[in-house]
Amino acid sequence: MSSILETVRRAPHLGRRSLLAVLIVAALVVAGCSSGSSKQSGGTALVAMTQEPGGMNRLFNDQSGSFLSFWAQEPLFVALPDGSFKPVLAAELPSEQNGGITNKGKTVTFKLRNGITWSDGKPLTAADIKFTFDVIEDPKSSALPPAAYDLVNSVDVVDELTARVRLSKPNPFYLGLFQQILPKHKFDSTAVTTDHPQARLPLGTGPFVFKDFKEGDKIVLKRNESYWNRKAHPVRLDGITLKITPDAQSAISAFRRGEFDTVFFVTSGDLPDLTKARDDGEPIMVTLQKTKSHVEWLWLNQSDNGDHSKPHPVLGDPAVREAIDLGIDRKAVIDQVLKGFGTLNGSVFYSGLAATEIPAAPFDPKRANQILDEAGWKRGSGGIRAKDGVRASMRFQTVTGDQTRELYQQLIQQNLKSIGVEVKINNVPSNLMFGSYQESGRLKRGNFDIMMSRDGYTVDPLEEGWAANFTCVQVPSKSNPGGESETHWCNREYDGLVKEAGSSVDQARRKQLYAQAAQLFARERPALPLYSSTWGWTWSNRLKGVSKEYFDGIWRGAGDWYLAG
Amino acid sequence: MGTYVIRRSLQAIPLLIGISIVIFLMLQMTPGGPLASSEAGGGRATAERTERLREEFGLDDPLPVQYVNWAGGIVTGDWGTSYNTGRPVLGTILDRLPTTLLLTGLAFVIALAIALPVGILAATRQYSVFDYVSSGVSFVGVAIPSFWFGLMLLYLFSFRLGWLPSSGLEDLRMQHVGPAALWDRASHLIMPVAVLSLIATAQLTRYVRGSMLEVLHEDYVRTARGSGLPERSVIVRHAFRNAAIPVVTIAVLMVPELFLGAVITESIFAISGMGRLFIESADLRDYPVLLGILTIAAVLVVLANLLADLLYGLLDPRISYG
Repeated sequence: MSSILETVRRAPHLGRRSLLAVLIVAALVVAGCSSGSSKQSGGTALVAMTQEPGGMNRLFNDQSGSFLSFWAQEPLFVALPDGSFKPVLAAELPSEQNGGITNKGKTVTFKLRNGITWSDGKPLTAADIKFTFDVIEDPKSSALPPAAYDLVNSVDVVDELTARVRLSKPNPFYLGLFQQILPKHKFDSTAVTTDHPQARLPLGTGPFVFKDFKEGDKIVLKRNESYWNRKAHPVRLDGITLKITPDAQSAISAFRRGEFDTVFFVTSGDLPDLTKARDDGEPIMVTLQKTKSHVEWLWLNQSDNGDHSKPHPVLGDPAVREAIDLGIDRKAVIDQVLKGFGTLNGSVFYSGLAATEIPAAPFDPKRANQILDEAGWKRGSGGIRAKDGVRASMRFQTVTGDQTRELYQQLIQQNLKSIGVEVKINNVPSNLMFGSYQESGRLKRGNFDIMMSRDGYTVDPLEEGWAANFTCVQVPSKSNPGGESETHWCNREYDGLVKEAGSSVDQARRKQLYAQAAQLFARERPALPLYSSTWGWTWSNRLKGVSKEYFDGIWRGAGDWYLAG
Repeated sequence: MGTYVIRRSLQAIPLLIGISIVIFLMLQMTPGGPLASSEAGGGRATAERTERLREEFGLDDPLPVQYVNWAGGIVTGDWGTSYNTGRPVLGTILDRLPTTLLLTGLAFVIALAIALPVGILAATRQYSVFDYVSSGVSFVGVAIPSFWFGLMLLYLFSFRLGWLPSSGLEDLRMQHVGPAALWDRASHLIMPVAVLSLIATAQLTRYVRGSMLEVLHEDYVRTARGSGLPERSVIVRHAFRNAAIPVVTIAVLMVPELFLGAVITESIFAISGMGRLFIESADLRDYPVLLGILTIAAVLVVLANLLADLLYGLLDPRISYG
């Protein structure tokens, strides 16, 4: 303040009145700024957040931003990159040996660790778990529980630290339950709606505590001073501030200039530039996921325009599906369009527990042509093949507005032309593609030939029902409008394998069954994997202690982060 | 005068009702209802839940019923709750209002502070180099799309030169005390205010110049000069006072325009004002919030018009309101 006065005094051209005005403005501005003073021990990490969620409680919000709720809301178990789980709030993994799984897998007993407290000092108990389930079950609450809760019949409190969960049928994904637990003592009833303060900024047991949510501006977290797991995770940061910066490109530019310590989140399209910047010596770190992530799929319609009594006139022939598989130059897509940021994948189960390694089909147009010749698809006008009067000419669609996708669509179009298959690129807005049956969504109605979208990155094929998507009961129709199948494929053998894998609690057996199902899927080709995107994270050099210990990236490890210098 | 104010205010009521019906219906006609995002299957909301939400928000009521419920709420102070956050709309908007007021207020003051002297000077020195330059610059200012100007400033001063911060209103890493805080706040405001005031400044400059030129050729100005008054006094006391009348009208009408300009500025510079709220709510089809902001904008436009008319009378005694 004194230096302002000094400057003003030394400016003789300013009259007394303007001097007064300057002082008043100065005072107002200074008064307007908050003067938060905290000790400079660990510093505050500044994270750019590109999507602002309506609330930070993951149980009530499914937008991408609330994903970070785990900084306060800890799960019973956390998923590791290989799809196995590690206890967090739970004392141990329930098993048949330790009595955690009984009644042929239909009863699961969760034991909480002793001595865990909420960040307000109250103890975490089994009653909180039961309360969380009661909120999920209450039709008046606005909880958005993951599908895994559908199989839960009841939750009972056995003692202070033990909760018993009864399932309607064995659900091997029981470890994915209770990723969020609600503090019972903060609620009056189970009819919790999104306007409840706890739905906005939940109280948790985690390394950080939600302090403030200024809409459109920032979300402030401070260190949980009484964090129960200090020994394992010292929590050196004073806090984390999420700054909402809706324009992703601006957020990344500002991050590279040092305005932010990291960005939540970057997409695979940002990674080539970020990696180059790092290699050019910018003070940022970029790490890429070694294992596969989000695979781009070509859904091959197995119905005749939604009529399930007839196969698709072209794609119904397995020879055509195989020829298309062999006729696409996936390597060119990855190298030329994605600048190397992608990997080959041939398996429907490619991540987490059931990851099954199946090589992608080799690029072999010669063999593809041979297969089509043998199957009776003869070259006709314009080099396009036909059989029994049906031309091998189809629509090839994805969501409009993605330039990268349009580039490799053209590449695929050329590839397929050389084997005598014509595809017409005719992209549609996402609501037309993914719309519900009632809204005449193209996928649901089977009103397409080849559609392209990304899917299937799951810890367990049971998550989001990924494996079940391809079963016969999921084929959408007038009588089954909620069906989730993209391909309208129906194969009883696949159904049997997936059903057994989905109700056994023997994880080794499950892996085996999913591997068989994946082999079958790759042989039958109701959908063709194009490539697996490269997933990655970036943070500034001054942010230390960042590691990718968990299935879903660097974010959960914030309890170990600290700022250097 | 008093009866005039009352009459004009009463006239504003049917106008506002008309506007409210139009904006309400227009939002209803936009494709994709408020629950479109959860219906698309991307989210975790089930069909039953969507159904329950429709009921909760009264989306299945006939349109006139929905309108009356909403409009009644506006009058009684219950502006509804945001679909996205579940918070009351009025509170949400009031949280964001100060930021937008700060931006538009500063932009307005700066537009006046530049436009008045530049316009007057350009008029008194018609066809001088200064006149040509200022006219040229203000033409460019009117022509440049403000989002483009904002992005260029951002690119140059933040990303290339690194002189100014790119987003928000404060550096979240620093302790906000002393002169550094003053500079921090100012440095965050420079670019947004520049972008927001650009068009207003350019337009006002042209009005001031035009209005002054008209007045400078009037007889009473020649008389004032002829009677030996100093040039400064002629320009300021005699010419400008009359030239100011149309300028005031334009300036007042610019306030709602600036307010709407904040939509773009706040989005570019990640400032959490009402403009950003509007964009976000449009993205999420958060109708109650959108309607709330549109209502405020409508009231503002009507009020600005009324104010402009009243000021006209105050400044010009020749105008009487009968």
